[in-house]
Amino acid sequence: MNDETFLDERVDVVATFGTGLNPCVPVKFRRASGRVIEITEIGLRHPTTAGKRMLHMFDVTDGGADYRLEFDAERLTWTLTLEADRS
Amino acid sequence: MNPHPNAARPTVMHIDLNSCFATVEQQARPRLRNRPVAIVNRRTEHTMIVTCSYEAKAMGVKLGMSLKDAKKLCPDLVGLESDPPKYKYVYHKLMAIMQDYSAHVRMKSIDEGVIDFGESTAAMAGRDLADIGYEIKQRLWDEVGCAMNCNVGIATNRFLAKTAASLHKPNGLDVITADNLRDTFRTMELTDLTGIAGRFEKRLNAVGIFTPLQFLDATPEVLHKVVFKSIVGLDWHQRLRGWEVDKRDFPIRTAGRQYVLDAYKMPRHEVLRRLHHLCEETGSKVRSQGLVARGVSVHARSYSDTGRGWGGTYWHARHMAAVPFFSNQAIYEQARKLFEAAPVFVKEIGVSCYELSEPDDSQLHLFGDELARDRAVTTAIDEINARYGKRVVHSADTLVTKMMREKIPFGSTRYM
Repeated sequence: MNDETFLDERVDVVATFGTGLNPCVPVKFRRASGRVIEITEIGLRHPTTAGKRMLHMFDVTDGGADYRLEFDAERLTWTLTLEADRS
Repeated sequence: MNPHPNAARPTVMHIDLNSCFATVEQQARPRLRNRPVAIVNRRTEHTMIVTCSYEAKAMGVKLGMSLKDAKKLCPDLVGLESDPPKYKYVYHKLMAIMQDYSAHVRMKSIDEGVIDFGESTAAMAGRDLADIGYEIKQRLWDEVGCAMNCNVGIATNRFLAKTAASLHKPNGLDVITADNLRDTFRTMELTDLTGIAGRFEKRLNAVGIFTPLQFLDATPEVLHKVVFKSIVGLDWHQRLRGWEVDKRDFPIRTAGRQYVLDAYKMPRHEVLRRLHHLCEETGSKVRSQGLVARGVSVHARSYSDTGRGWGGTYWHARHMAAVPFFSNQAIYEQARKLFEAAPVFVKEIGVSCYELSEPDDSQLHLFGDELARDRAVTTAIDEINARYGKRVVHSADTLVTKMMREKIPFGSTRYM
C-alpha cells in the first residue's frame, strides 16, 4: 500500500494557543527516543470523537516525513499515531 | 411548459470539491502533494479505487480500477485507506462557508452542494455571483488549506449549475446563461450531461440524438412520447433550458449497508456474524433518524464462474412485518431467517430496512409490553454508545467483525 507506520506513542509537545482560525499550533515534539521533531507545516487539523471525548488530529510534517499527532482534549495528552513517507 | 431557454439572471451556484478525498489527503500530508494518490476502502492490493488525485488521473488511473492494476499504469501510485472523519470535517467546513452566503444551502453529497441565491437577502442576491464564487474558493484555501480546490458552476437551475461546475476541472468557475447555452453544449458529449449514461444514451441514440445540441433541439413530444415514454421527458426538456425541475426533497425510504466479505468462500456462520454486524449498523441508522421500519431486505452476490471480478448471481429476499420494529435484534432475526435461502458461497452481503416511518405510539399493540421493553433496552444501549464510542456495547456475536470499519458515505449526507 504505502509507507505508513501506525504508532501509539505518547510524546511531549510544544504548542502555542493563540487567536484566529487555527488557535492551537503544535510547534515541535519529542519522541520517546529523545529525538525532537520541528514541525514545518500543519497540513490539516480535524476533530473527531471517541464517544463524547473530543480528539483533535493534527496531520503535520517536518519536511522529511509526515506525522499525525492526536490531542485528547479531555485528558490533555498528545499521542503520535502515524509516521509516513520518510525520505 | 417553457419552450425557450430561461433568460433570467442565474441564481443557483453549484460547488464541487475536486477529487475530494484524494485532495484532502494531499492537504493533510504535504509530502503527497503533486504525487499520484489513490483512495481505497481496504488496505489490500485487490481493492477498488474510490477516488484518485489529478496526478493519478493524468497517468490513466480510473475510479473502480483495482489498486494492483492501477499500479501497472502508475508504479509510483500511493494507495491510502479512506479516513472518513477527515472528509466529514472538510464537508462541514465547506457547508459552513456556503451557509455564510445563504440559508438555502443543500448538500448533494459529501463533496458537493448547491446554494440557491434566488431566496437570499436582497444584499446578497445583489452581489455578482462570480465574485462570491471566487470568494468561496479563497475561503476554502484560507480555512481548510492551500491544497483544497473546488469547481464552481452558476446557472439558472441546479442541472445547468452542476454542468457548469464540470466544464473546467480542476478549480474552474463557469457561468451558463441563455446566451451561452448553445455554445456550451456544442463543446460537450451527450454523456457529459449528468444523468445521461448507458440506457438513456441508447434511447436517445435510437431517435437520432447523439449530441447535447440535438437533445436541446428535440421537441417535448419526442422526449415525452418516444424517448423517455413518461413525464421524465418533459422534465429533461425544461432542465436543458435552465428551468428548475430538480428542486425537491425526497423522504428517506430505506436505510442499510452492504459489505464485500473479507475472505474467499467464507463459512456460513462467519457470514452470519457479518450480517449481524450490518443489522446493528442498519438499526443504528434507522434510529438516528427517529424512525421505525416495517420491512427488511437482504441481498447477496455469489461468486462468478471464474471466482473473480464482479460477475456472479445476485440474490435477494424481503419480509414485511406485522408491526413496526427498530431494534438491532428484531432486524437480525428477520434477516437471518431470510438469509437461510441465500446461496452457499457469497462474496457480498447487504441488509436494508424499508417502509420507514415515524413511530406511531398512539395505537395500542397486543405486544405493547415487549415493545416497550425492547425500546428501553435499545435506547439505553444507544445512549451508552453515544457517550463512550460506537460499538462499546454490541452483540457478542459480532465481536470478531471489528474490521468492518465505517466507510465513506456516498450519496446521502443524512448520517454525517
